[in-house]
Amino acid sequence: MFSVKMVEIHGMFIFAMGFSLVGTGVLCYNLMVFGAKDILLSNFATKGRYALIRLHDVTKMYPNGSRGVEGLNLHIKKGEFVFIIGSSGSGKSTLIKLLLKELDPTSGEIIINRVKTNELSRRQIPYLRRNLGVVFQDFRLLPNKTVYENVAFAMRVIEAPSRIIRRNVPAVLSLVGLGQKGRSYPSQLSGGEQQRTALARAIVNNPPILICDEPTGNLDPDTAWGIMQLLDDINKRGTTIVMATHARDIVDEMQKRVVTLRQGHIISDIEKGGYDDEA
Amino acid sequence: MRPSTIRYFIKEGFSGLKKNLLMTVASMIAVAACISIMMFSYCVVSNLQYMLDQMEDSIGISVFLQGELTSEDIEQMKTEISQIEHVTNVTYVSPADSLEKLKEEWGADEDIFIGLDDSNNPLSHSFQIELDQIESQSAVLSALEQVDGIENVQYGQSLSEMLVSISNVFQVAGVLIMLVLGVISVMIIVNTIRISVVNRRIEINIMKYVGATDWFIRWPFIIEGIIIGLVGALIPTILGLPLYGKTISLFYQYVPFVENFVRFRLTGDVFSFVLPAALCFGVLLGVIGSVTSIRKHLQV
Repeated sequence: MFSVKMVEIHGMFIFAMGFSLVGTGVLCYNLMVFGAKDILLSNFATKGRYALIRLHDVTKMYPNGSRGVEGLNLHIKKGEFVFIIGSSGSGKSTLIKLLLKELDPTSGEIIINRVKTNELSRRQIPYLRRNLGVVFQDFRLLPNKTVYENVAFAMRVIEAPSRIIRRNVPAVLSLVGLGQKGRSYPSQLSGGEQQRTALARAIVNNPPILICDEPTGNLDPDTAWGIMQLLDDINKRGTTIVMATHARDIVDEMQKRVVTLRQGHIISDIEKGGYDDEA
Repeated sequence: MRPSTIRYFIKEGFSGLKKNLLMTVASMIAVAACISIMMFSYCVVSNLQYMLDQMEDSIGISVFLQGELTSEDIEQMKTEISQIEHVTNVTYVSPADSLEKLKEEWGADEDIFIGLDDSNNPLSHSFQIELDQIESQSAVLSALEQVDGIENVQYGQSLSEMLVSISNVFQVAGVLIMLVLGVISVMIIVNTIRISVVNRRIEINIMKYVGATDWFIRWPFIIEGIIIGLVGALIPTILGLPLYGKTISLFYQYVPFVENFVRFRLTGDVFSFVLPAALCFGVLLGVIGSVTSIRKHLQV
C-alpha cells in the first residue's frame, strides 16, 4: 500500500512539474512571438457567437413623464461592432445608461453576459461593470495623475495585484500607441492622445464589452480616424463594441452593423450599413 | 484586502486632508473642543463620585441614645433600626468604646481625660449606621425620627447633599454640552469631507464606471475622518494629562485641609479611561462624518 502511494505521489509531482514547465514554456514562446499585448487581449478571441447583450422589450420613462426609450428589442453577439445612431433626444444616451446600469428600465429585461441586470442588487453592480469598458466624449481623465497612473487606477480600483498592474499597464499603453507617454499628464497631451489614454483605461481590465459614448465627438477628423482604427483593432481581438455616435462619415466608412434610434424606438437595424440607410 | 490596496487608501486619505488643510484643521479643532468638554465633565463627575464613595464608607449616621440602657433595650433598638430600609449595617458602640476612641484620637495624655474612667463616663450609648448609598440618607433620617429613645443624630448632611447635587448638575450639563458639540463637530467633519468628495467627484465617477465597489470608494474618506477624529482626540488628552495633575496638586496646596477627608482620583486612573474613550469617540465622530458626507455621491 505504502509503496503504491509513494509512487502515486511521485507521479503526480512529476506530472505537475512537467505541466508547469510546459505552461511556462508556452507562455515564454508566445511572449517572444506575439508580444505582450497580443496575449493580453487574445483571451477574448471569439468562441461561439452567443448574444452577449440582450434587450427584451425595454422601456424607460423618466419621472417627469418624458420618454427615454420604448419597446427596445436588441441582440448583440460576442465580437460584434455596433453603431447606435440617431439625432439628439433619440434615446442613444438612455440606451447607453441602461447598458451601464446607471439607469434601470421601467419595464423589460436587459441581459449582459448572461446576467439579468434587473435582478442585480446595488452591491453587485460593480461586478457587472467590470465586464464593461467605457469611453466618453469628454475623456474623463484625472488631471493630477499621469497617463500611466490614469490607466493603473482602473486596475487598482478592482484590486488587481501590483505585479499584474506593472505588467499590463505598459502593454496596454503600447497597444494604443502611447508607449512613450506614460509619464505625461493629460494636459500635456493632444485630444487624440487623451482619448487613447481613456481607451487604454477602458480595456486594461480586459472587459468583454466596450461601450463608447461619442468617442470621436471632440476630435478632428484625422484624429478620429486613428481612434476608429484602434477600436477596430480591439474589436478584431474579440471585444464586443457598442458605439453611440453622430459621425456620419465614420459610420459610412466602417460598414458595420448600424442600429438607428428615433424618438426612443429602433427604426432600423442593418448588418452592414451606412448612416442614412433605413430598412 | 491587499496590502497595496490598504496603502492606496491611506495615501489617498492623507492627500485628501492635505488638499483642504484649512477645513481639516478646523474640524480637528471642533473635535478637540467636543472631546475636551467631555473630558472635563468626566473628570469632575468621576471625582465627585469618588468623593461620595469615600464618604459613604466613612460617614454613615451616628445615633446617640438617651440615658441608662440595659443590653436588652439596646438589642431591641438595634433590631428596630436594622429594619429601616437602606440600612445595611448597625454597630453598637458602648460608652467605654467611645471613650477609648476619643483617647486614641486626642492622645490619652490630654488633660481633658483626667479623672474619666468607666465609672463616670459622660458619653452615651450609640449606634453607627451604614447606608447602601448616600442618596438614601434623608429617607433613613426621617425613619429614625419614629424610633423612641434617641437623643441625638449626627450626619454629614450639607456636604453630602451638596456633592450629590453638584454631581447631578455636571452629569446632565456634561451630557447636554457633549451632545450639542458632538453634533457640531460631526457637521464640520461632514463639511470638510464633502469638500474633499466634491474635489474628487470625477474620480469617484470613473471609479464607479470601472467597477469599484462602494466600500473601495468609501475607505479613503473614512480614513480622512478617522485621522481628523484621532488628532482631534489626541490634542485635548495630551494637553489634559499634565493639566489634571497640576490642578489637583494646586488644590491640595491652597486648600490644605481637603486632603484630610477627601482625595481626588489619580491621574493614571482617570486617563486610563479617558484616553481610550476619547480616541474611540473621536474615531466614531470621524466615521459618522465621512460616511454621511459620501453617501449621496455614491448614487451613480
